[in-house]
Amino acid sequence: MKANKIPVGPFHPLLEEAEYFELTVDGETVVDIDMEIGWMHRGHEYISEMKTFTQSIFLVERICGICSTSHPIACVHAIEDIDNIEIPLRARYIRSLVGELERIHSHLLWLGLAGHFIGYDTLWMWAWKYREPVLEMFEIISGNRNHYGMMRVGGVAQDVNPEKLVELHKHLDMIERKMVMIAKAAKDDPVLKSRLKGVGVLTKEDAIAYCTVGPTSRASGVPGDVRLDEPTDAYDLVEFERIVLPNGDVYDKLVVRVLEIIESIKICRQCLDKLKTATGQVLNNVKEISPGEGIGRYEAPRGEVFHYIRSDGTNRPIRHKVRAPSYVNIPSFKASCKGIPIADALITLASVDPCYCCTERSLKVVDKNRDPHTLDLLGLSRTKTERIRRTIHGN
Amino acid sequence: MAEVEQFIKDMGDKIHAKIEKKRRFYFNVSNDNLPEVADYLFHKMGCRLSTATAMEMYHGIEILYHFSNDKTGQYFCPRVVIKDKKNPKVNSITSIITGAIWIEREMFDLWGIEFIGHPRMEELLTLNNPGNVKQPLRFKEGA
Repeated sequence: MKANKIPVGPFHPLLEEAEYFELTVDGETVVDIDMEIGWMHRGHEYISEMKTFTQSIFLVERICGICSTSHPIACVHAIEDIDNIEIPLRARYIRSLVGELERIHSHLLWLGLAGHFIGYDTLWMWAWKYREPVLEMFEIISGNRNHYGMMRVGGVAQDVNPEKLVELHKHLDMIERKMVMIAKAAKDDPVLKSRLKGVGVLTKEDAIAYCTVGPTSRASGVPGDVRLDEPTDAYDLVEFERIVLPNGDVYDKLVVRVLEIIESIKICRQCLDKLKTATGQVLNNVKEISPGEGIGRYEAPRGEVFHYIRSDGTNRPIRHKVRAPSYVNIPSFKASCKGIPIADALITLASVDPCYCCTERSLKVVDKNRDPHTLDLLGLSRTKTERIRRTIHGN
Repeated sequence: MAEVEQFIKDMGDKIHAKIEKKRRFYFNVSNDNLPEVADYLFHKMGCRLSTATAMEMYHGIEILYHFSNDKTGQYFCPRVVIKDKKNPKVNSITSIITGAIWIEREMFDLWGIEFIGHPRMEELLTLNNPGNVKQPLRFKEGA
Protein backbone atom coordinates (compact mmCIF):
# COMPACT_ATOMS: atom_id res chain seq x y z
CA MET A 1 0.00 0.00 0.00
CA LYS A 2 1.20 3.48 -0.81
CA ALA A 3 2.07 5.57 2.23
CA ASN A 4 0.32 8.93 2.63
CA LYS A 5 1.64 11.96 4.43
CA ILE A 6 -0.54 13.90 6.84
CA PRO A 7 0.59 17.36 7.92
CA VAL A 8 -0.16 18.46 11.48
CA GLY A 9 0.61 22.10 12.17
CA PRO A 10 2.47 24.42 12.22
CA PHE A 11 -0.44 25.90 14.18
CA HIS A 12 -2.18 23.07 15.90
CA PRO A 13 -4.91 22.93 18.52
CA LEU A 14 -3.07 20.44 20.70
CA LEU A 15 0.30 22.07 21.03
CA GLU A 16 1.50 24.96 23.10
CA GLU A 17 4.00 26.03 20.50
CA ALA A 18 3.79 26.25 16.75
CA GLU A 19 5.32 23.03 15.49
CA TYR A 20 4.96 21.01 12.35
CA PHE A 21 4.56 17.25 12.27
CA GLU A 22 4.41 15.19 9.13
CA LEU A 23 2.86 11.81 9.80
CA THR A 24 3.55 9.10 7.24
CA VAL A 25 0.66 6.64 7.36
CA ASP A 26 0.21 3.26 5.75
CA GLY A 27 -3.50 2.60 5.90
CA GLU A 28 -4.46 3.38 9.50
CA THR A 29 -0.95 2.96 10.89
CA VAL A 30 1.62 5.68 11.46
CA VAL A 31 4.90 4.38 10.03
CA ASP A 32 7.07 7.48 10.41
CA ILE A 33 7.00 11.02 11.72
CA ASP A 34 9.03 14.09 10.87
CA MET A 35 9.12 17.27 12.93
CA GLU A 36 10.02 20.86 12.19
CA ILE A 37 10.25 23.75 14.65
CA GLY A 38 11.25 27.39 14.38
CA TRP A 39 8.00 29.28 13.97
CA MET A 40 8.24 30.80 17.43
CA HIS A 41 11.98 31.38 17.73
CA ARG A 42 12.12 34.80 19.38
CA GLY A 43 15.83 35.11 20.07
CA HIS A 44 15.57 35.23 23.87
CA GLU A 45 19.18 34.14 24.30
CA TYR A 46 20.49 36.96 22.12
CA ILE A 47 18.19 39.57 23.71
CA SER A 48 19.32 38.46 27.16
CA GLU A 49 22.91 39.41 26.34
CA MET A 50 21.72 43.02 26.01
CA LYS A 51 19.91 43.01 29.36
CA THR A 52 21.18 43.25 32.91
CA PHE A 53 21.01 40.11 35.05
CA THR A 54 17.84 41.35 36.78
CA GLN A 55 16.21 42.23 33.46
CA SER A 56 17.09 38.78 32.09
CA ILE A 57 14.95 37.19 34.80
CA PHE A 58 11.92 39.17 33.59
CA LEU A 59 12.77 38.29 30.00
CA VAL A 60 12.89 34.53 30.55
CA GLU A 61 9.63 34.72 32.49
CA ARG A 62 8.03 35.52 29.11
CA ILE A 63 9.36 32.39 27.38
CA CYS A 64 6.32 30.38 28.46
CA GLY A 65 2.96 31.44 29.81
CA ILE A 66 2.46 28.22 31.75
CA CYS A 67 5.85 27.53 33.31
CA SER A 68 6.49 31.24 33.76
CA THR A 69 8.27 30.76 37.07
CA SER A 70 10.37 27.71 36.13
CA HIS A 71 12.56 29.70 33.73
CA PRO A 72 13.18 32.50 36.25
CA ILE A 73 14.05 29.95 38.96
CA ALA A 74 16.53 28.19 36.65
CA CYS A 75 17.91 31.57 35.58
CA VAL A 76 18.54 32.79 39.14
CA HIS A 77 20.02 29.39 40.00
CA ALA A 78 22.51 29.83 37.12
CA ILE A 79 23.50 33.33 38.24
CA GLU A 80 23.74 32.23 41.89
CA ASP A 81 25.87 29.24 40.78
CA ILE A 82 28.56 31.61 39.48
CA ASP A 83 29.25 33.02 42.95
CA ASN A 84 27.71 30.28 45.14
CA ILE A 85 25.18 32.81 46.45
CA GLU A 86 23.07 31.61 49.39
CA ILE A 87 19.47 32.72 49.78
CA PRO A 88 17.47 33.27 53.01
CA LEU A 89 15.50 30.34 54.44
CA ARG A 90 12.14 32.07 54.06
CA ALA A 91 12.88 32.78 50.38
CA ARG A 92 13.66 29.09 49.83
CA TYR A 93 10.18 28.11 51.00
CA ILE A 94 8.52 30.81 48.92
CA ARG A 95 10.39 29.75 45.78
CA SER A 96 9.35 26.12 46.19
CA LEU A 97 5.78 27.11 47.04
CA VAL A 98 5.41 29.14 43.84
CA GLY A 99 7.16 26.44 41.77
CA GLU A 100 4.88 23.68 43.04
CA LEU A 101 1.70 25.70 42.57
CA GLU A 102 2.81 26.16 38.99
CA ARG A 103 3.23 22.41 38.62
CA ILE A 104 -0.32 21.85 39.91
CA HIS A 105 -1.94 24.28 37.49
CA SER A 106 0.16 23.09 34.55
CA HIS A 107 -0.65 19.42 35.16
CA LEU A 108 -4.35 20.28 35.59
CA LEU A 109 -4.27 22.12 32.29
CA TRP A 110 -2.79 19.09 30.55
CA LEU A 111 -5.22 16.74 32.27
CA GLY A 112 -8.17 18.76 31.02
CA LEU A 113 -6.87 18.88 27.47
CA ALA A 114 -6.07 15.17 27.45
CA GLY A 115 -9.64 14.47 28.58
CA HIS A 116 -11.03 16.65 25.83
CA PHE A 117 -8.95 14.99 23.10
CA ILE A 118 -10.25 11.55 23.93
CA GLY A 119 -13.86 12.61 24.48
CA TYR A 120 -13.83 12.95 28.29
CA ASP A 121 -15.20 16.45 28.45
CA THR A 122 -16.25 16.09 32.11
CA LEU A 123 -12.61 15.50 33.07
CA TRP A 124 -11.67 18.56 31.01
CA MET A 125 -14.20 20.79 32.77
CA TRP A 126 -13.36 19.46 36.26
CA ALA A 127 -9.63 19.89 35.78
CA TRP A 128 -9.96 23.44 34.52
CA LYS A 129 -12.51 24.34 37.18
CA TYR A 130 -10.15 23.31 39.96
CA ARG A 131 -7.24 25.07 38.29
CA GLU A 132 -8.89 28.41 39.03
CA PRO A 133 -8.28 28.29 42.83
CA VAL A 134 -4.57 27.71 42.10
CA LEU A 135 -4.46 30.89 40.04
CA GLU A 136 -6.27 32.68 42.88
CA MET A 137 -3.52 31.49 45.22
CA PHE A 138 -0.95 33.05 42.89
CA GLU A 139 -2.90 36.29 43.02
CA ILE A 140 -2.87 36.22 46.83
CA ILE A 141 0.89 35.52 46.90
CA SER A 142 2.17 37.78 44.14
CA GLY A 143 -0.70 39.98 42.99
CA ASN A 144 -0.73 38.28 39.58
CA ARG A 145 -2.48 35.21 38.23
CA ASN A 146 0.40 34.57 35.83
CA HIS A 147 3.89 36.05 35.34
CA TYR A 148 4.38 36.48 39.06
CA GLY A 149 7.68 38.39 38.97
CA MET A 150 8.76 36.70 42.20
CA MET A 151 12.34 35.59 41.47
CA ARG A 152 15.43 37.66 42.19
CA VAL A 153 19.11 36.82 42.48
CA GLY A 154 19.58 36.22 46.21
CA GLY A 155 15.96 35.45 47.08
CA VAL A 156 12.46 36.51 46.09
CA ALA A 157 10.98 39.88 45.23
CA GLN A 158 8.25 39.95 47.87
CA ASP A 159 7.26 38.19 51.05
CA VAL A 160 4.07 36.19 51.54
CA ASN A 161 1.71 38.12 53.76
CA PRO A 162 1.45 36.08 57.03
CA GLU A 163 -2.21 37.11 57.37
CA LYS A 164 -3.00 35.32 54.13
CA LEU A 165 -1.59 31.94 55.16
CA VAL A 166 -4.93 30.71 56.54
CA GLU A 167 -6.68 31.62 53.30
CA LEU A 168 -3.98 29.84 51.27
CA HIS A 169 -4.37 26.74 53.43
CA LYS A 170 -8.13 26.74 52.82
CA HIS A 171 -7.61 26.91 49.06
CA LEU A 172 -5.11 24.08 49.25
CA ASP A 173 -7.46 21.89 51.33
CA MET A 174 -10.21 22.30 48.75
CA ILE A 175 -7.86 21.57 45.83
CA GLU A 176 -6.55 18.44 47.58
CA ARG A 177 -10.05 17.02 48.13
CA LYS A 178 -10.89 17.50 44.48
CA MET A 179 -7.56 16.13 43.27
CA VAL A 180 -7.98 12.94 45.29
CA MET A 181 -11.40 12.55 43.70
CA ILE A 182 -10.06 13.11 40.17
CA ALA A 183 -7.09 10.78 40.80
CA LYS A 184 -9.44 8.02 41.96
CA ALA A 185 -11.78 8.58 39.01
CA ALA A 186 -8.92 8.54 36.52
CA LYS A 187 -7.26 5.44 37.98
CA ASP A 188 -10.47 3.40 38.34
CA ASP A 189 -12.11 4.21 35.01
CA PRO A 190 -12.10 1.10 32.76
CA VAL A 191 -12.74 3.11 29.58
CA LEU A 192 -9.84 5.45 30.26
CA LYS A 193 -7.56 2.48 30.89
CA SER A 194 -8.67 0.70 27.72
CA ARG A 195 -8.29 3.89 25.71
CA LEU A 196 -4.82 4.89 26.92
CA LYS A 197 -3.07 1.70 28.08
CA GLY A 198 -0.43 0.64 25.57
CA VAL A 199 -0.90 3.78 23.46
CA GLY A 200 2.16 5.72 22.27
CA VAL A 201 4.68 3.69 24.25
CA LEU A 202 8.09 5.27 24.83
CA THR A 203 10.33 2.49 26.08
CA LYS A 204 12.90 3.08 28.82
CA GLU A 205 15.71 2.53 26.31
CA ASP A 206 14.27 5.16 23.94
CA ALA A 207 13.64 7.60 26.79
CA ILE A 208 17.33 7.33 27.72
CA ALA A 209 18.53 7.50 24.10
CA TYR A 210 16.51 10.66 23.40
CA CYS A 211 17.57 12.18 26.77
CA THR A 212 13.95 12.93 27.67
CA VAL A 213 13.03 14.60 30.95
CA GLY A 214 10.17 15.11 33.37
CA PRO A 215 6.93 13.11 33.41
CA THR A 216 7.71 11.92 29.88
CA SER A 217 10.77 10.02 31.11
CA ARG A 218 9.42 9.15 34.57
CA ALA A 219 6.44 7.41 32.96
CA SER A 220 9.01 5.27 31.09
CA GLY A 221 10.81 4.14 34.22
CA VAL A 222 13.62 6.72 34.12
CA PRO A 223 13.69 8.21 37.63
CA GLY A 224 15.31 11.62 36.97
CA ASP A 225 13.79 14.46 38.96
CA VAL A 226 15.88 17.57 39.56
CA ARG A 227 14.05 18.32 42.81
CA LEU A 228 15.50 15.13 44.30
CA ASP A 229 18.68 14.70 42.24
CA GLU A 230 20.07 18.16 42.93
CA PRO A 231 17.82 19.63 45.62
CA THR A 232 17.82 23.41 45.75
CA ASP A 233 15.56 25.94 47.46
CA ALA A 234 13.36 24.05 49.96
CA TYR A 235 13.36 20.64 48.29
CA ASP A 236 15.81 19.17 50.80
CA LEU A 237 13.66 20.54 53.66
CA VAL A 238 10.34 18.94 52.67
CA GLU A 239 9.20 15.36 52.18
CA PHE A 240 7.67 14.05 48.98
CA GLU A 241 7.74 10.98 46.76
CA ARG A 242 9.38 10.49 43.38
CA ILE A 243 6.66 9.27 40.98
CA VAL A 244 8.00 6.71 38.49
CA LEU A 245 5.95 4.25 36.42
CA PRO A 246 7.27 1.55 34.08
CA ASN A 247 5.14 1.28 30.93
CA GLY A 248 5.84 4.49 29.00
CA ASP A 249 2.35 4.72 27.53
CA VAL A 250 -0.04 7.68 27.61
CA TYR A 251 -1.91 6.17 30.56
CA ASP A 252 1.24 6.12 32.69
CA LYS A 253 2.03 9.69 31.68
CA LEU A 254 -1.45 10.67 32.85
CA VAL A 255 -1.13 8.82 36.16
CA VAL A 256 2.36 10.27 36.80
CA ARG A 257 0.99 13.78 36.42
CA VAL A 258 -2.07 13.11 38.59
CA LEU A 259 0.07 11.64 41.38
CA GLU A 260 2.57 14.49 41.07
CA ILE A 261 -0.25 16.95 41.72
CA ILE A 262 -0.92 15.18 45.03
CA GLU A 263 2.80 15.31 45.89
CA SER A 264 2.97 19.01 44.95
CA ILE A 265 0.07 19.74 47.30
CA LYS A 266 2.05 18.00 50.07
CA ILE A 267 5.07 20.21 49.34
CA CYS A 268 2.94 23.38 49.27
CA ARG A 269 1.36 22.48 52.59
CA GLN A 270 4.78 21.94 54.21
CA CYS A 271 6.06 25.23 52.78
CA LEU A 272 3.03 27.13 54.08
CA ASP A 273 3.49 25.56 57.52
CA LYS A 274 7.16 26.52 57.59
CA LEU A 275 6.35 30.08 56.53
CA LYS A 276 4.54 30.49 59.86
CA THR A 277 7.80 30.01 61.75
CA ALA A 278 10.62 30.83 59.30
CA THR A 279 11.00 34.54 59.84
CA GLY A 280 13.55 36.99 58.48
CA GLN A 281 14.31 38.68 55.22
CA VAL A 282 13.50 37.20 51.81
CA LEU A 283 16.21 38.84 49.69
CA ASN A 284 19.96 39.07 50.16
CA ASN A 285 21.61 42.13 48.70
CA VAL A 286 23.68 40.95 45.74
CA LYS A 287 25.56 43.85 44.16
CA GLU A 288 27.92 42.23 41.66
CA ILE A 289 28.34 39.01 39.75
CA SER A 290 31.93 37.84 39.33
CA PRO A 291 33.40 36.68 36.02
CA GLY A 292 32.64 32.99 35.54
CA GLU A 293 30.05 30.52 34.39
CA GLY A 294 27.06 28.96 36.09
CA ILE A 295 24.49 26.26 35.47
CA GLY A 296 20.98 26.52 36.80
CA ARG A 297 18.19 24.06 36.47
CA TYR A 298 14.76 23.45 37.84
CA GLU A 299 12.19 20.68 37.55
CA ALA A 300 9.48 22.46 35.56
CA PRO A 301 6.09 20.73 35.08
CA ARG A 302 7.33 19.27 31.77
CA GLY A 303 10.81 18.37 33.05
CA GLU A 304 14.22 19.88 33.57
CA VAL A 305 14.61 23.53 32.51
CA PHE A 306 18.28 24.29 31.91
CA HIS A 307 19.99 27.70 31.94
CA TYR A 308 23.70 28.39 31.42
CA ILE A 309 25.05 31.88 32.05
CA ARG A 310 28.54 33.22 31.53
CA SER A 311 29.58 36.49 33.09
CA ASP A 312 32.57 38.72 32.36
CA GLY A 313 32.15 40.71 35.57
CA THR A 314 29.88 43.38 34.11
CA ASN A 315 26.19 43.63 34.97
CA ARG A 316 24.99 41.57 32.02
CA PRO A 317 25.62 38.03 30.72
CA ILE A 318 27.89 37.51 27.74
CA ARG A 319 26.14 34.18 27.03
CA HIS A 320 22.80 32.90 28.17
CA LYS A 321 21.77 29.45 27.02
CA VAL A 322 18.21 28.27 27.62
CA ARG A 323 16.94 24.72 27.07
CA ALA A 324 13.30 24.01 27.79
CA PRO A 325 12.08 20.44 28.45
CA SER A 326 9.90 20.21 25.32
CA TYR A 327 13.05 20.65 23.23
CA VAL A 328 14.31 17.23 24.28
CA ASN A 329 10.91 15.56 24.70
CA ILE A 330 9.49 16.31 21.25
CA PRO A 331 12.15 14.37 19.26
CA SER A 332 11.09 11.23 21.16
CA PHE A 333 7.93 11.15 18.99
CA LYS A 334 10.16 9.37 16.46
CA ALA A 335 10.09 6.41 18.82
CA SER A 336 6.65 6.70 20.44
CA CYS A 337 4.54 7.39 17.32
CA LYS A 338 5.79 4.61 15.04
CA GLY A 339 3.32 1.79 14.64
CA ILE A 340 0.37 3.43 16.39
CA PRO A 341 -3.09 3.77 14.78
CA ILE A 342 -3.80 7.24 13.44
CA ALA A 343 -6.68 7.64 15.92
CA ASP A 344 -4.05 7.54 18.69
CA ALA A 345 -1.71 10.04 17.04
CA LEU A 346 -3.26 13.13 18.60
CA ILE A 347 -3.18 11.96 22.19
CA THR A 348 0.37 10.60 21.72
CA LEU A 349 1.56 13.93 20.32
CA ALA A 350 -0.21 15.67 23.21
CA SER A 351 1.22 13.33 25.83
CA VAL A 352 4.39 15.39 26.36
CA ASP A 353 2.09 18.25 27.47
CA PRO A 354 0.39 20.83 25.27
CA CYS A 355 -0.57 24.22 26.64
CA TYR A 356 -3.26 26.80 27.26
CA CYS A 357 -3.57 28.25 23.78
CA CYS A 358 -5.26 25.08 22.59
CA THR A 359 -8.54 25.72 20.88
CA GLU A 360 -11.40 23.77 19.47
CA ARG A 361 -9.74 23.81 16.05
CA SER A 362 -9.20 20.40 14.47
CA LEU A 363 -6.98 19.54 11.58
CA LYS A 364 -8.61 18.71 8.27
CA VAL A 365 -6.68 17.45 5.26
CA VAL A 366 -7.79 16.25 1.88
CA ASP A 367 -6.83 12.72 0.93
CA LYS A 368 -6.76 12.92 -2.86
CA ASN A 369 -6.56 9.14 -3.22
CA ARG A 370 -9.99 8.68 -1.64
CA ASP A 371 -12.19 11.21 -3.39
CA PRO A 372 -12.61 14.58 -1.69
CA HIS A 373 -12.59 13.37 1.88
CA THR A 374 -11.85 15.12 5.11
CA LEU A 375 -9.90 13.51 7.90
CA ASP A 376 -10.64 14.88 11.37
CA LEU A 377 -7.94 13.65 13.76
CA LEU A 378 -9.74 14.96 16.86
CA GLY A 379 -12.95 13.30 15.72
CA LEU A 380 -11.10 10.01 15.12
CA SER A 381 -9.66 10.09 18.62
CA ARG A 382 -13.00 10.83 20.31
CA THR A 383 -14.82 8.23 18.19
CA LYS A 384 -12.37 5.55 19.28
CA THR A 385 -13.06 6.37 22.95
CA GLU A 386 -16.81 6.24 22.34
CA ARG A 387 -16.43 2.82 20.68
CA ILE A 388 -14.52 1.49 23.71
CA ARG A 389 -17.07 3.02 26.08
CA ARG A 390 -19.95 1.29 24.27
CA THR A 391 -18.08 -2.03 24.30
CA ILE A 392 -17.44 -1.82 28.05
CA HIS A 393 -20.70 -0.28 29.24
CA GLY A 394 -22.92 -1.74 26.52
CA ASN A 395 -24.90 1.39 25.70
CA MET B 1 33.59 13.88 44.17
CA ALA B 2 34.62 10.24 43.86
CA GLU B 3 32.99 10.00 40.45
CA VAL B 4 34.91 13.07 39.25
CA GLU B 5 38.17 11.61 40.51
CA GLN B 6 37.44 8.30 38.81
CA PHE B 7 36.54 10.12 35.58
CA ILE B 8 39.80 12.12 35.67
CA LYS B 9 41.75 8.91 36.30
CA ASP B 10 40.08 7.03 33.43
CA MET B 11 40.33 9.86 30.92
CA GLY B 12 44.01 10.60 31.69
CA ASP B 13 45.55 13.16 29.40
CA LYS B 14 42.50 13.32 27.12
CA ILE B 15 41.05 16.10 29.27
CA HIS B 16 42.74 19.28 30.42
CA ALA B 17 42.07 22.83 31.72
CA LYS B 18 39.96 21.32 34.47
CA ILE B 19 37.74 23.54 36.63
CA GLU B 20 35.91 21.90 39.50
CA LYS B 21 33.09 23.56 41.43
CA LYS B 22 30.33 22.25 43.64
CA ARG B 23 28.53 19.66 41.47
CA ARG B 24 30.07 21.15 38.31
CA PHE B 25 33.11 19.91 36.43
CA TYR B 26 34.27 21.86 33.38
CA PHE B 27 37.15 20.64 31.25
CA ASN B 28 38.60 20.97 27.76
CA VAL B 29 38.73 18.10 25.30
CA SER B 30 40.07 17.92 21.75
CA ASN B 31 37.79 17.31 18.79
CA ASP B 32 39.43 13.90 18.22
CA ASN B 33 38.78 12.77 21.79
CA LEU B 34 35.25 14.14 22.04
CA PRO B 35 33.39 10.98 20.89
CA GLU B 36 35.34 8.81 23.34
CA VAL B 37 34.63 11.19 26.24
CA ALA B 38 30.93 11.44 25.27
CA ASP B 39 30.69 7.68 24.99
CA TYR B 40 32.25 7.23 28.45
CA LEU B 41 29.92 9.78 30.04
CA PHE B 42 26.77 8.50 28.34
CA HIS B 43 27.26 4.74 28.32
CA LYS B 44 29.67 3.98 31.14
CA MET B 45 28.59 6.61 33.67
CA GLY B 46 24.92 6.74 32.61
CA CYS B 47 24.89 10.51 32.20
CA ARG B 48 22.15 12.29 30.25
CA LEU B 49 23.07 14.89 27.62
CA SER B 50 21.17 17.92 28.88
CA THR B 51 22.19 20.23 26.03
CA ALA B 52 25.21 21.97 24.51
CA THR B 53 26.08 25.65 24.42
CA ALA B 54 27.92 27.19 21.48
CA MET B 55 29.60 30.55 21.78
CA GLU B 56 31.82 32.63 19.54
CA MET B 57 34.91 34.01 21.23
CA TYR B 58 37.78 35.96 19.68
CA HIS B 59 40.07 32.92 19.95
CA GLY B 60 37.58 30.57 18.28
CA ILE B 61 34.18 28.96 18.62
CA GLU B 62 33.49 27.09 21.84
CA ILE B 63 31.06 24.23 22.27
CA LEU B 64 30.29 23.37 25.88
CA TYR B 65 28.42 20.09 26.35
CA HIS B 66 26.38 19.57 29.51
CA PHE B 67 26.14 15.99 30.75
CA SER B 68 24.07 15.41 33.88
CA ASN B 69 24.51 12.45 36.17
CA ASP B 70 20.98 12.31 37.53
CA LYS B 71 21.94 9.81 40.20
CA THR B 72 24.25 12.29 41.93
CA GLY B 73 23.27 15.71 40.56
CA GLN B 74 26.81 16.18 39.15
CA TYR B 75 27.31 18.03 35.87
CA PHE B 76 30.17 17.14 33.51
CA CYS B 77 30.88 19.83 30.91
CA PRO B 78 33.39 18.96 28.14
CA ARG B 79 34.46 22.02 26.18
CA VAL B 80 35.68 21.85 22.58
CA VAL B 81 37.33 24.91 21.06
CA ILE B 82 37.34 25.24 17.25
CA LYS B 83 40.12 27.56 16.09
CA ASP B 84 39.04 27.72 12.44
CA LYS B 85 36.21 30.23 12.63
CA LYS B 86 35.75 30.43 8.87
CA ASN B 87 35.09 26.75 8.42
CA PRO B 88 34.15 25.36 11.84
CA LYS B 89 33.89 21.56 11.98
CA VAL B 90 33.60 19.15 14.85
CA ASN B 91 32.82 15.46 15.25
CA SER B 92 29.17 14.61 15.73
CA ILE B 93 28.13 12.57 18.79
CA THR B 94 24.73 11.60 17.34
CA SER B 95 25.90 8.05 16.66
CA ILE B 96 26.46 7.73 20.43
CA ILE B 97 23.53 9.83 21.69
CA THR B 98 20.35 10.05 19.60
CA GLY B 99 19.19 13.01 21.67
CA ALA B 100 22.02 15.13 20.25
CA ILE B 101 20.43 15.37 16.79
CA TRP B 102 18.46 18.57 17.37
CA ILE B 103 21.13 20.05 19.65
CA GLU B 104 23.78 19.79 16.92
CA ARG B 105 21.39 20.96 14.19
CA GLU B 106 20.66 24.10 16.21
CA MET B 107 24.38 24.88 16.50
CA PHE B 108 24.78 24.33 12.76
CA ASP B 109 21.85 26.65 12.19
CA LEU B 110 22.81 29.53 14.48
CA TRP B 111 26.63 29.34 14.37
CA GLY B 112 27.37 27.47 11.15
CA ILE B 113 29.26 24.68 12.90
CA GLU B 114 29.35 21.55 10.76
CA PHE B 115 29.08 18.29 12.69
CA ILE B 116 30.93 15.52 10.85
CA GLY B 117 28.80 12.36 10.74
CA HIS B 118 25.48 14.01 11.58
CA PRO B 119 22.60 12.18 9.81
CA ARG B 120 20.73 15.34 8.83
CA MET B 121 22.88 18.44 8.80
CA GLU B 122 20.31 21.15 8.05
CA GLU B 123 18.77 24.16 9.75
CA LEU B 124 16.49 23.60 12.72
CA LEU B 125 15.14 26.99 13.79
CA THR B 126 15.50 29.07 10.61
CA LEU B 127 14.52 26.28 8.21
CA ASN B 128 11.26 27.93 7.18
CA ASN B 129 12.32 31.51 7.75
CA PRO B 130 11.37 33.57 4.68
CA GLY B 131 14.29 35.98 5.15
CA ASN B 132 17.95 35.33 4.38
CA VAL B 133 18.97 34.40 7.92
CA LYS B 134 22.32 32.65 8.02
CA GLN B 135 24.19 31.95 11.23
CA PRO B 136 22.50 34.78 13.15
CA LEU B 137 24.56 34.39 16.34
CA ARG B 138 27.99 34.73 14.71
CA PHE B 139 29.94 38.00 15.02
CA LYS B 140 29.04 40.34 12.20
CA GLU B 141 31.67 41.93 9.96
CA GLY B 142 33.15 44.95 11.69
CA ALA B 143 31.50 44.15 15.04
